[in-house]
Amino acid sequence: MSSWHLLDPASPAPLRDHQLAMNRRQFFGRTATGLGTAALASLLDRENGLAAGSPNIAPKAKRIIYLFQNGGPTHVDLFDYKPRLQKVHGKPVPDGYLGGKRFSTMTGDPSGKLMLQPVEPFQQHGQSGAWVSAFMPHTAAIADELCFVKSLHTDAINHAPAISFLLSGAQIPGRPTMGAWLNYGLGSSSEDLPGFVVMTSVSKGTSCGQIFYDFYWGSGFLPTRFQGAKFRGSRDPVLYLNNPDGLSPELRRGLLDDLAELNEMKFRAVGDPEIETRIAQYEMAYRMQTSVPDLTDLSDEPEHVLAMYGPQVREPGTFAYNCLMARRLAERGVNFIQCMHAGWDQHNSLTTELYTQCRDTDQPSAALVRDLKMRGLLEDTLVIWGGEFGRTPFIQGDLANRERWGRDHHPYAFTVWMAGGGVKPGISYGASDDLGFNAVENPVHVHDLQATILHLSGINHEQLTYRFQGRYFRLTDVHGHVVKPILA
Amino acid sequence: MLAFAPVAGRTAPPSSVVFSRDILPILSDACFQCHGPDAKEGRKGDLRLDDEADAKRDRDGYRVIAEGHPDASELIRRLVSEDPEEQMPPPKLGRPLSPTQIDTLKRWVAEGGQWGKHWAFEPVVRPAVPEGVHPIDALVQHGLDAAGIKPNPPADPATLLRRLSLDLTGLPPAMAIGDQSAVISDRENPNTDHRSPITDHDWSAIIDKLLDSPQYGERMAWDWLEAARYADSNGYQGDNERTMWPWRDWVVKAFNENLPYDQFTIWQLAGDLLPQANPDQILATGFNRNHMINGEGGRIAEENRVDYVMDMSETMGTVWLGLTLNCCRCHDHKFDPLTQEDYYRFTAFFNQTPVTGGGGNPQTPPVLEIAPPDAIAARDAVRKERNEAKGRADKAAEAEKAALTDAFNTAEANLKSLDAAIPKVMVMADQKEPRKTFLLDRGLYNAPGREVTAGVPPVLLPAPDAANRLDLARWLVAPGHPLTARVAVNRIWQMLFGIGLVKTAEDFGIQAEYPQQRELLDWLAAEYVASGWDTKALIKTIVTSETYRRSSAIESPSDFERDPANRLLARGARFRMPSWMIRDQALAASGLLDRTLGGASVYPYQPAGIWDEATFGKKTYTESRGGDLHRRSLYTFWRRIVGPTEFFDTAKRQVCEVNPLRTNTPMHALTTLNSPTYVEAARFLADGVLRSHPDETTRLDAIGVRLLARKPAPAELAVWQRSLERARGAFQKDPAAATSLLATGAKRSEPGLDPAEHAAWTALCLNLLNLDETLTKE
Repeated sequence: MSSWHLLDPASPAPLRDHQLAMNRRQFFGRTATGLGTAALASLLDRENGLAAGSPNIAPKAKRIIYLFQNGGPTHVDLFDYKPRLQKVHGKPVPDGYLGGKRFSTMTGDPSGKLMLQPVEPFQQHGQSGAWVSAFMPHTAAIADELCFVKSLHTDAINHAPAISFLLSGAQIPGRPTMGAWLNYGLGSSSEDLPGFVVMTSVSKGTSCGQIFYDFYWGSGFLPTRFQGAKFRGSRDPVLYLNNPDGLSPELRRGLLDDLAELNEMKFRAVGDPEIETRIAQYEMAYRMQTSVPDLTDLSDEPEHVLAMYGPQVREPGTFAYNCLMARRLAERGVNFIQCMHAGWDQHNSLTTELYTQCRDTDQPSAALVRDLKMRGLLEDTLVIWGGEFGRTPFIQGDLANRERWGRDHHPYAFTVWMAGGGVKPGISYGASDDLGFNAVENPVHVHDLQATILHLSGINHEQLTYRFQGRYFRLTDVHGHVVKPILA
Repeated sequence: MLAFAPVAGRTAPPSSVVFSRDILPILSDACFQCHGPDAKEGRKGDLRLDDEADAKRDRDGYRVIAEGHPDASELIRRLVSEDPEEQMPPPKLGRPLSPTQIDTLKRWVAEGGQWGKHWAFEPVVRPAVPEGVHPIDALVQHGLDAAGIKPNPPADPATLLRRLSLDLTGLPPAMAIGDQSAVISDRENPNTDHRSPITDHDWSAIIDKLLDSPQYGERMAWDWLEAARYADSNGYQGDNERTMWPWRDWVVKAFNENLPYDQFTIWQLAGDLLPQANPDQILATGFNRNHMINGEGGRIAEENRVDYVMDMSETMGTVWLGLTLNCCRCHDHKFDPLTQEDYYRFTAFFNQTPVTGGGGNPQTPPVLEIAPPDAIAARDAVRKERNEAKGRADKAAEAEKAALTDAFNTAEANLKSLDAAIPKVMVMADQKEPRKTFLLDRGLYNAPGREVTAGVPPVLLPAPDAANRLDLARWLVAPGHPLTARVAVNRIWQMLFGIGLVKTAEDFGIQAEYPQQRELLDWLAAEYVASGWDTKALIKTIVTSETYRRSSAIESPSDFERDPANRLLARGARFRMPSWMIRDQALAASGLLDRTLGGASVYPYQPAGIWDEATFGKKTYTESRGGDLHRRSLYTFWRRIVGPTEFFDTAKRQVCEVNPLRTNTPMHALTTLNSPTYVEAARFLADGVLRSHPDETTRLDAIGVRLLARKPAPAELAVWQRSLERARGAFQKDPAAATSLLATGAKRSEPGLDPAEHAAWTALCLNLLNLDETLTKE
């Protein structure tokens, strides 16, 4: 939305006053050197920082990298060790675990379903003694950096609504996502790149491909400048970034100078502050023409760093490449980076595709945490790894046909891990019951996770609001409690 | 000039406190969350501040509102209390009332605490307007006088022509009005004084010409398509292609034929239920079926079906009532006097189609086949042939079976292709056996509560007998309906001025702002209904006002500061055009625009791999060829899960959207600087002026006229020439670069132009396509 339309009589008063002041500066604060810096700032929305809510909490995480695992990673096979699953393997679901709960139509009525043991063995790792399965050797090796939340639970049972719920607080598309809220509340720290960047990838070995809907990084009713800028999974992450064939960068620079001069003339003639925004918009576009190629030019990465991320790191569009990009974006001041990876939907492929899935994601995820730590960035960068729900502790498929073992969607308990940015390292928080069915010890609802993430960013989730359709909305709706025990 | 008869009506409100303007918004905003209409969730302290009787009743010795006695009113005591346990609103909410707001409430109680209805639910009363002045200008002047702001003078004629032409057709004036137009050719004539005002007679003639051009309907259709969440695919996983474009063409036709808005409403919501409904009336009901269809495995059919029904009702609510019904899915509205029951009574109207919700068929019946009769007859003949072949094969002896089976297979294949070529538009039809409708707990399909019947909220306008969609549609346009006309004229105003008289075009409920220009809104609404819902007349009424024709320049910083968003309308509108209009303008100005009306959607330029990436290779985009690359943006194929890449700030086409977005991200600039559409348009704009004008000056002037409807001023000309020189130098030094630039875009230039020169002019034109003034309607 333009600065013009930022003057929104329906928005909360502090924001409105701030915008008035900003426009005043745009109007009178111009210097003889041309472009007013206020106009630039309004485009970058830096000055808007915290207009939405007062920064009453000291921020621990200056930036967030969400490694979103789309499809529902199987908590009971990866992180949530339940020895009893071995004992009840092949037996019907014991009484008392289901209680009329809803499952996907693929499962239907869950009573009588047979229990399924974890596919791979678990071991304890590091000084913290975290249980991690053999599926995830690289993650296991950094267990002491991680805070596992094993009692997360959600309201939704199908992919799109559950992802939407986790990222935007509502199952129905149309609400602002976490990154958009933070972009709105905190602004951007980069003058050369958007403040909220999204990258997507898909496991190379899986057949099921969940679609990445753009409402997973949408700004909902917030102005669209807060939405995630989706970088594409190719050599050209931004559309139309390159000058037309035959138009050299030197000529383009000269032409843009002329364009700015003409727009300045227009501004002097009609006084519309929007024109200053336009000039800044074109300058930012020009800078992205340089900053984005610099971002994707890996020639400055030492071999040993690239090797850490694994063999796919040079291939645009892979999770490994995106993890490396996430670090490079973080270094360049981008505050919310959402790497989405699809393929965790093992309805019938726990013994097959799950291996490829873990191969594609385990090493890069761990490498990112290590890499950030080596550079001193981990302490103020929050990394979150997890999906929209877990998977059933009972089998989907035929117990006799190991090749086709699967698990169905399971919203009642699942695991995410976090690292850096103000969370305690080397702990596990909360627990599911002895079969991994239900979050029983310190349950953490999706809204609690959201409240905690905002808290780590220095924002009280009850105060980050936006007025739309006559009411004040927030990421956590009317719910959410900060999970204080995991705060460092 | 149009004649306006003065009509007696309400006079301006007195300066004392007005409940609906001054009090209700405060109560609603600060109190209704806990003391409002929602009966189940969240009401605190056994107090309703939305209900006069409850708010004023005696509570064992004290009263919340004691008329005439602020000191004896608990409301006021709690507002000014300094005890955090007592203070209202509770301090922990962090949204205290301002001293002015508290003072207003005190004054209101002191003046007697008079109650009233939310303004938008009161019937429209046509305000009195003075004779001899355009009513819009007279009403706007009230607000300007009160604020002490002087209105701007009229914009200069060239700016006005461009403004009008873009507003009414989405195309620049030379293209929309035509070079042969007397008015325009005069203005292109260098001897004409461009600053001479356009006479009222000429202005009226130009308006009529634009309103009568087929491009008017195309322009109006875009906004309606966004409201109707029109797209060419289902959405969700799979995202199968659908064939709703005949409905889109009907919309264009309806606007061009100026179908009165009441009929436009009835046909779209319930054309199928009209007596002897004709095919157009049935086709119009495709409006309701434009919702997304979920074909994901693992979804419950009934859950999908309920989603579709809710989407239909909520879209109706936003488009016609300007109310956010969706809040009532789960609970009574927190602010508006709408109950959860009201919501489900609305859904009962739409709950009657035979759709089951199963599968992802993008042509789920009921459908209307749109094709020439002979195509349908040919298909039906082959179907008969196939059925006969099957019948014979089943009965035939072994020896004949093979031949007959072959015949069957041939007919079957033939039938498939003939049938696939007939677009099937999803439309409405009610099943014979009425489906029961239930209030759904928390909006869950499988948590039905008590049964409800179709019906409308009497708080808006009673219609006790409303039983089916046709009754609902007729109720919306019935005399005395408080919302439909207000909501409709507000959208037209928003289209022309960039912001509605009610800023929230989607919400006229209690939480919406009280319109500063309420009398103007009501006058327009009354006028619209009185004209027989004549949309072209409404638009003409608005654009003939001085208010519309004012210059958009900000003449003084102090006036700007007093009204930065121009809500008092001292200035003309100035805002960045929608991205589709920017593209259409570029195509038109360059002469590339293919003006073919209607038909199946087309596939203009899009970078390779966009669809493949979003669908894991299941869908691949194949660009159109020839003229279809240069059709109006309206006809671009809209895939829901990944919309066209060349547009920005458009509705997502997933759910109903009536509020335009206007952002300025660097990605937008990159699009208009670098995408092949704009490079090719620049190339043909250059091509055109190089061939048709003899020298540099007249060429530069011609570019100015095509893009800005004016010639460049001397200071601008100097910069344009500098750009040209830069580009000339670069391309003369590097002829290969010139060839590369000229190779962008599918359409080839005729031979005969010097490549370096053509490339230099192309670079200049590309720059000028990105001027703020080019991108802006001013």
